[in-house]
Amino acid sequence: MVKRSPLYELQKKLGARFIEFAGFEMPIQYSSIKDEHLTVRKSVGLFDVSHMSNVWITGEEAEELISLTTVEDAFGVDDKKSQYTAILRKDGTVIDDTIFMHLGDKYMMIPNAGMDEIVTDWLNKKAEEHKVCAKAENVSKDYVILAVQGPKSRETLQKLTDVDLKNVGFFGCQYINLGDVDCIISHTGYTGELGFELQIAPSKKAEDVFNKILEAGNELGIKPIGLGARDTLRLEKCFILAGNEFEGGRTPLEATMSWTINWDHDFVGKEALLKQKEKGDYERLTCLECTSKGIPRHGCEIQKNGKKIGVVTSGTLSPCLNTGIAMGYCHPDYREKDSILEIIIRGKPVEAKVVKPPFVPKDWAQQN
Amino acid sequence: MSNEVRNDLKYTESHEWLKLKGDLAQIGITDHAQSELTDIVFVELPSVGKEVKKGEELCVVESVKSVSEIFSPISGKVSKVNDKLEDTPETVNESPYNEGWLVELEVQDKSEIDSLLDADSYKKTIG
Repeated sequence: MVKRSPLYELQKKLGARFIEFAGFEMPIQYSSIKDEHLTVRKSVGLFDVSHMSNVWITGEEAEELISLTTVEDAFGVDDKKSQYTAILRKDGTVIDDTIFMHLGDKYMMIPNAGMDEIVTDWLNKKAEEHKVCAKAENVSKDYVILAVQGPKSRETLQKLTDVDLKNVGFFGCQYINLGDVDCIISHTGYTGELGFELQIAPSKKAEDVFNKILEAGNELGIKPIGLGARDTLRLEKCFILAGNEFEGGRTPLEATMSWTINWDHDFVGKEALLKQKEKGDYERLTCLECTSKGIPRHGCEIQKNGKKIGVVTSGTLSPCLNTGIAMGYCHPDYREKDSILEIIIRGKPVEAKVVKPPFVPKDWAQQN
Repeated sequence: MSNEVRNDLKYTESHEWLKLKGDLAQIGITDHAQSELTDIVFVELPSVGKEVKKGEELCVVESVKSVSEIFSPISGKVSKVNDKLEDTPETVNESPYNEGWLVELEVQDKSEIDSLLDADSYKKTIG
């Protein structure tokens, strides 16, 4: 049975077209992906991302459980701070990438869409195995998650709350009353722009908040945004999409997430990562910008002089650059900056250049 | 949502249109199709001289998120392609029945055209 967000009917009225993604029927676009994309880069957009999961982690040793099951040492994450991290299997491959928020004596974790039960069960199993006094509780059904993203996002949300949002710093999180609803706000997002995410429960209050945000942002040009633009926005910033970039089992070293790994603590998968790091010759996620016409897509082969050296995990036309962009895994010998590789699109090679992330710089909107 | 259907054209259930001009047939995608695809950002055209059979892939039209094959409504040889679309693929959105045409074919068998949908029948398929 496909799940729907509690905002489905409202979104339908707003002209959304829907797709099924990870078991959820969610808006893919309202007006057009390009238009929605540029709206977020230049002003502000409102996303419903309720397909993402919500898991409470509670108990005396909640920090211990998070530290054991992620590459982050949770003891180092202050109250009212959130952290991007990854949950690994023993062999070092990623089960899911996630954010957890430190909210007083408990933590809320936001696993990806469809990962709620897998992550909850994994955490509880590890708590039992390692005798850690903490538990994970899947509360995904209770929450609507909204993302307000873009340079005008703070200005939009500030109209709906007495809390000075300038005090909610990057990756900050806290309880807040916004639009007369108590919820959790975090200065996080998946677009590379200034942005905030709201966890709202009970979910029936979300429709009211959704409408209030649209009203508050009206004069700033706010638009509702679908998952289509969410994907192009994240890809221009080289952010990972779990279903694509971890497909088939990838470690955080391969996914170029080594910056998230806190090596000074023990965690499930650490030994395997240390071995891989020492060996060194593993494939790494690589960003490619097409230098000729063509749009790379998931599954396209990457070649060098006719020899297969990797595969595209995500590809699209970049609405900001108007060129094809892709991420894929390549052997380290071929991924030096400015190297020219070929992406095979419908049997034909299209030249692409290795670039350092992100494809679209932070100040793109000011310059364009 | 725009859904214009022109009376002087023939249609397929897969949303291509065909306009007969003597022995040549101009082919494109319908207003309904372009509106469903939105944001056409890339068109891959066949080479002139290529022979295609009815129902075979004629070209590829890509939106930001989707790749759609366009099928040939009839058999024939490609006599001309709208190569302006290589630089301005959005023309297919803006003018699906005029400037946004895709391919011109030399018609092999005119009876194939008779079996295509007329405007009224096509209108019914898009409801």
